[in-house]
Amino acid sequence: MPVDIMREESGNEPVAAFSMSHPAVPSLYMVLTLGLTMFSMQPVLIALSLAGGLAYGFATRGAARTLGALRWQLPVILIIALVNPLFSASGSTELFRIGMRAVYLESMVYGLCMGGLFVASVLWFGAAASMLEYDKVLALLGNAAPVIALMISMCMRLIPQFLRRGRTVLAVQDAIDVPGRAPADPVRSRLRASSVLMGWGMEDSLERADAMRSRGWGAATRRTTYARYRLGRSDIAALVGLALFGVATAAVAWTATTQYSFYPQLSVPAPWPGYVVYAAWMVLPCALHAIDEKRFG
Amino acid sequence: MSRLDRGPVSGAACGPDIPAIEVQGLSFAYPGAGAPVLEGLDWRVPQGAFALLVGGTGSGKSTLLSLLKPEIAPAGERTGDARVLGENVADMDVRASAERVGYVFQDPENQIVCETVWHEMAFGLENLGLARDEMRRRVAETSYFFGLEDWLHRDTDTLSGGRKQLLSLAAVLALRPRVLLLDEPTSQLDPVAEKNFLHALFRVNRELGCTVVVATHQPRPMLEYATCAYRIEDGRVREVADMASLGRRESLFSDDMLGWGAVRCAKNGVFSRREDNLGSLEPPGDVSSAKKSSELDKSSEFVAQTSLENGSEAFPRTDGSRILQKMHGGSATTLAGSWFRYDRAGGWVLRGLDVAFSAGAVHAIVGGNGCGKSTMLSVLAKTAKLQRGRMVRGAASAALLPQNPKALLVAETVRDELMEWASTCGYDENLARERAAQLGLDGLETRHPYDLSGGQRQLLALAKLLLIGPELLLLDEPTKGLDLFSRRIIARALRDHAKAGGTVIIATHDLDFAEQVADDIAMMFDGEIACMEPPADFFADNVFYRA
Repeated sequence: MPVDIMREESGNEPVAAFSMSHPAVPSLYMVLTLGLTMFSMQPVLIALSLAGGLAYGFATRGAARTLGALRWQLPVILIIALVNPLFSASGSTELFRIGMRAVYLESMVYGLCMGGLFVASVLWFGAAASMLEYDKVLALLGNAAPVIALMISMCMRLIPQFLRRGRTVLAVQDAIDVPGRAPADPVRSRLRASSVLMGWGMEDSLERADAMRSRGWGAATRRTTYARYRLGRSDIAALVGLALFGVATAAVAWTATTQYSFYPQLSVPAPWPGYVVYAAWMVLPCALHAIDEKRFG
Repeated sequence: MSRLDRGPVSGAACGPDIPAIEVQGLSFAYPGAGAPVLEGLDWRVPQGAFALLVGGTGSGKSTLLSLLKPEIAPAGERTGDARVLGENVADMDVRASAERVGYVFQDPENQIVCETVWHEMAFGLENLGLARDEMRRRVAETSYFFGLEDWLHRDTDTLSGGRKQLLSLAAVLALRPRVLLLDEPTSQLDPVAEKNFLHALFRVNRELGCTVVVATHQPRPMLEYATCAYRIEDGRVREVADMASLGRRESLFSDDMLGWGAVRCAKNGVFSRREDNLGSLEPPGDVSSAKKSSELDKSSEFVAQTSLENGSEAFPRTDGSRILQKMHGGSATTLAGSWFRYDRAGGWVLRGLDVAFSAGAVHAIVGGNGCGKSTMLSVLAKTAKLQRGRMVRGAASAALLPQNPKALLVAETVRDELMEWASTCGYDENLARERAAQLGLDGLETRHPYDLSGGQRQLLALAKLLLIGPELLLLDEPTKGLDLFSRRIIARALRDHAKAGGTVIIATHDLDFAEQVADDIAMMFDGEIACMEPPADFFADNVFYRA
């Protein structure tokens, strides 16, 4: 599509929790959440994390898209649950035998949990992407790694341009229509397109380098980074609060995971107030989002 | 923003009497080149001027400007003295140069570095290592000055060319330079975007007191803003005393080749009429006579055509009998009830478009950005498929010249480039050489396509397409950014192609070119053809939209 036809995309920020905080706040939350999710191999904790991730998906991306993603996520859980017993034949409750191999309930539950853990992580990564847009990551990298921050920015600029140009080159190739001329071999035409793009890109990079130099590239020994966010007092308070809450949740997860065992026999989780803490952590972004929604009616 | 010329002076002292640019005895030669580009050049631009630097392609305009920015100056042999605001250019480091002299390049695509508009604005400031609070302030006030706060969060890749170039200007201005150098800044823009850009530049000059130097080969649209003009010729610069002379419209069909356009233009009195009304919105005084001539148009067309037939013997080399394969297009290329959109969510780009393009003629499509011109070309090239309606291509073969000729260039030398499709499309080296000569590319066979000038590159791409002999030739902005020389060659080539029976369809913003070259002009608007008429009628009835 030519650039001119593109509809104006206003700079609407996507719906996300923590949108009013400095990016450090959502990133602390996401790092902790992903860590907790990936290292807690315990059915209740996995269920809670999965529920939290799904709830956040429903709240921000809408039911249709979240359920749509479940179309591939549920089969993944099932496949892992079914495949795991084939690789690890341990446990005590034999369900059935395939040939000489016994299939145990324990290893199937373990597979189910692993699948759940995997999908929960995917959901939380999606949530992280919505909370931490690229410019927020840039602000975080900020003055610590200004050159890397700029490289990311340049890549984000050049990749769509490169793809668009690729389509143009292919379209121009396809537009050549001479009777009797053999239709272009798709592999060769792609190869040709990539060599056109290579020349084009390298030629342009010379000019871009000049444009960068003429605006003072390399003038300062240390670049700075423009950021749209300031770390305010409320952000620091939120960071401290999250850190304390995170430590408590991690302690809960640690206790629950070490006490639980899959083999040789599944332990049965008992009701425990610690789960409430873990659940509260996982539902936090969803709750924040609800508060936000309420504020705007 | 306060005026830049009253702000705190950074660096050397400079009172109002010190010229913004002072060049004495400057000579420059590229390594390996025989003759120097610049030789003993003396040049003075006063502070606060809006100066034009005119000259043909290869006259050294860009070289001269870049020699004033040491960090982008080309390698070569250089003697003489260049000062900006009294400071020797050779003594400036990168920081001083960035803060004092701003430079805007030709291509809006290539000079944008960052992903979002706000980050692009801050790029130069980041380079200088400014503190965040200072950056915020500068980005804020520069955004307000240019009115770009509405698109501050857009991705730079999704901006139109005009906005990209405006952003480049703003990003340079955020560094608060006292002197601004621009190399063909508007050559890639459509006329409306060009006006916008020039107006912004004008405000930079008058409101901020920034000295502006624009190198251009199309000074006409800038004349009302400029305070002085200089011509660079034979390596030297001299002031243009009669600035109005720069506004003259040049005929594309020069006298030595009395072509079709010249005959017709002379008939309709296009040039004399146009010159009287230069820069005024008033409809031409002799509307009635223009109307009359348009009523007579059919017959005058006929006369013009026949005189071309007769005149063709005058230039046997280019009558095309050898180079052009016989085409028996004959039937028209039509679009009927065409509807098209890129995706379900997007708006309709073509809305029930009906149009017929006859064979043996040049058709020009004009209209603003995003009106669907390029989309229509894609449909005709069969790279986009209509959702509803019918496209009938009367021609047996077709080719599309893209906006940027780089999309067509793949080889290491001009010769290889021309021969790329020789075996699949059935032409030999002699034909390629002849075609290259016809398009003014002789003597360049061993050069790398990327070492050619923009105009030569466009001609090469056109030559390449003409060699495969397409009956339907589609061109997207073929004259964008080209100088008179290249435009003349393209005008000739397109007329020749039509004369041999081909159908030529050009989407263009270049009304001047359309008027002189096309048989009819269609104005596209809102996904439809608003009107389609021969040029004389088209321009006689238009009040706002004129060459």
